[in-house]
Amino acid sequence: MRMLEVRNISKHYGHGRTAVRALDDVSFSLEPGQLLAVLGPSGSGKTTLLSIIAGLLHPTEGEIVLGGRPIHLRSPREAAAFRRRYVGLVFQEHHLLPYLTARENLLLVPHLSGRITGRDRTRAKSLLAEFGLEERAGHRPAMLSGGERQRVAVARALMNEPEIMLVDEPTANLDTQHGNQVLELLRAQIHARAMTCVMVTHDTRMAEQADASLRLIDGRTAPTGA
Amino acid sequence: MLALKELLGSKLKFSLIALIIGLVVSLTMLMSAMSEGLVTGMTGAKGTLAADALVFQGDTQLALERSLLTTADMETIRRTPGVREVYGVGHAMISVEAGGEVFDARVFGLGGRFDQLPIVAGSSGPPGPGEAIVDVTAEAEGLAVGDTVPLTPIDRELKIIAFTEGRRYVMTPAFYVDMVTWADLYVASALRGEVAEDSGGSPATQSASLEGGASIAAVDLTAGTTVDDLAAELEPAFEVTTPAEAAEAGNGMPVMVLAVNAIQVVSLLIGALVIGVFFYIMTLNKTGQIAAVKALGASDGYLYRQLLLQIIVLVSAAAFIGIALALGSGSSMPPTMAFDPQVGRWLISLAAVYLMALVGSLFSLRSILSIDPATALDRAEH
Ligand SMILES: Nc1ncnc2c1ncn2[C@@H]1O[C@H](COP(=O)(O)OP(=O)(O)OP(=O)(O)O)[C@@H](O)[C@H]1O
Ligand SMILES: [Mg+2]
Repeated sequence: MRMLEVRNISKHYGHGRTAVRALDDVSFSLEPGQLLAVLGPSGSGKTTLLSIIAGLLHPTEGEIVLGGRPIHLRSPREAAAFRRRYVGLVFQEHHLLPYLTARENLLLVPHLSGRITGRDRTRAKSLLAEFGLEERAGHRPAMLSGGERQRVAVARALMNEPEIMLVDEPTANLDTQHGNQVLELLRAQIHARAMTCVMVTHDTRMAEQADASLRLIDGRTAPTGA
Repeated sequence: MLALKELLGSKLKFSLIALIIGLVVSLTMLMSAMSEGLVTGMTGAKGTLAADALVFQGDTQLALERSLLTTADMETIRRTPGVREVYGVGHAMISVEAGGEVFDARVFGLGGRFDQLPIVAGSSGPPGPGEAIVDVTAEAEGLAVGDTVPLTPIDRELKIIAFTEGRRYVMTPAFYVDMVTWADLYVASALRGEVAEDSGGSPATQSASLEGGASIAAVDLTAGTTVDDLAAELEPAFEVTTPAEAAEAGNGMPVMVLAVNAIQVVSLLIGALVIGVFFYIMTLNKTGQIAAVKALGASDGYLYRQLLLQIIVLVSAAAFIGIALALGSGSSMPPTMAFDPQVGRWLISLAAVYLMALVGSLFSLRSILSIDPATALDRAEH
């Protein structure tokens, strides 16, 4: 697994008077196995940062480097292929497909990469087991609790054995107890598999459990306690 | 996988839309069968006449009802260069009594060539005087082979010796008789059974004057002679055309066929619109989902293929429903109704339905392309 570096990233939306500086010269680097919490008020640029690392947005300036290689100058098609192979995404909303069962939502990931193999099925099964979802494998999202859904979403993000996990407020819709449960599982996976993880959160107590944290204010890095 | 899982996940929604499209498909199927039935019902007896060309009296606009050729006319046609064989075809309107009811029918006198009539019941020999081979739709009026039916009000009768099929004219069954019987019925029905005081003779002498004449002449040409060649020789004293073209002329046929075809085209367009709008709205409703799947790495091509797969499954289900409905309602129609399903035309209609569905899917493609996967991270979907 490789080191993830974010170097002097800036992102401007729009031009002239309506221009927004969503990110302004943001830098950090993460060793394999490290979880970075990104804190900051609403509109401070947290989601923009995740989107740029995922290749969903182009930075106006700066570069994203994985294991010494820049990864940010990709066409949408290349970026999609990169995400399928190296990135695990957990959205603020779970974004599970409502007509698929928990197990099928996990298998969607290898399906999008081509073909579902026996190995993928085994992996889906063991992930669901690790996340305490064996009994729920055949249930559709509508039949799951909020915490269960978010656990399925995290399990789905791990299906492709990503190098980079990008997580946007995974616990925003959960109570503290279930939020901690999801975070605990996520942290264990990141350490065990030596991934790098950037997690956006509003919750300072969550941030305390991370290996490092970063506070954004108006798109700039601000000093933090951690 | 996604497409079919989604279909199975919302069976009610997709079944309803398949049913609606199925109804539209059945409408186009019915229209196609009815326009076919309309053509055979209106002009079957005229269009199927065994001949290379039909010759009408001049200035009759190919109207069988108005054309009358004398013995001398028939001779002129027979002696025209390029003409190999000629037989007269007589036409007359009659009213037939059956079981206390009266229905209209048409008499077709044939000067030979009775072997052109496909026999579905009864004897295949040519009818003798006072005998007729009748289109089988007369069965629905209560007639049977062997019946002798009175014609009204002209005090004649005809004995049915056989049934043929596909031989109707202006939605009434054709009664095929020999030329002597035709001449008698023609004069009798023209004079409504009365001896006209000032007509210069009895019906018998009148019909005798028709001997050797006919309503039109059916002509076979020698090899190398075209219908146009014959027309060049005979016009303007006569009108010359092919049986197929004659079938399309007169009785408001062109307008009718146009109207039925227009209904078919419009219903196809409605079907396309229904499919297009349905999937478009579905796609708009799923913007968040689609953005998320794109963010996971799905390509636009993949998403469009899933959409097409759904459309094909849905349209196939609709086609099945539509054909079943069309056949069901077709078989419950009386045989005298114009309903004549043609596999070829149905296949064309089906192909058109699929094509229209494809066109409809392009709306959705546009919105799929315009969905930005970056919105999946941000936009909460409720
Ligand atoms: N597509 C866009 N066009 C213009 N401005 C945008 C766009 N997306 C985001 N912004 C602006 O960029 C800034 C940063 O947005 P971003 O979504 O990254 O904030 P955030 O920290 O994730 O906020 P929240 O905590 O509310 O999710 C905001 O001022 C936002 O209005
Ligand atoms: Mg955000």
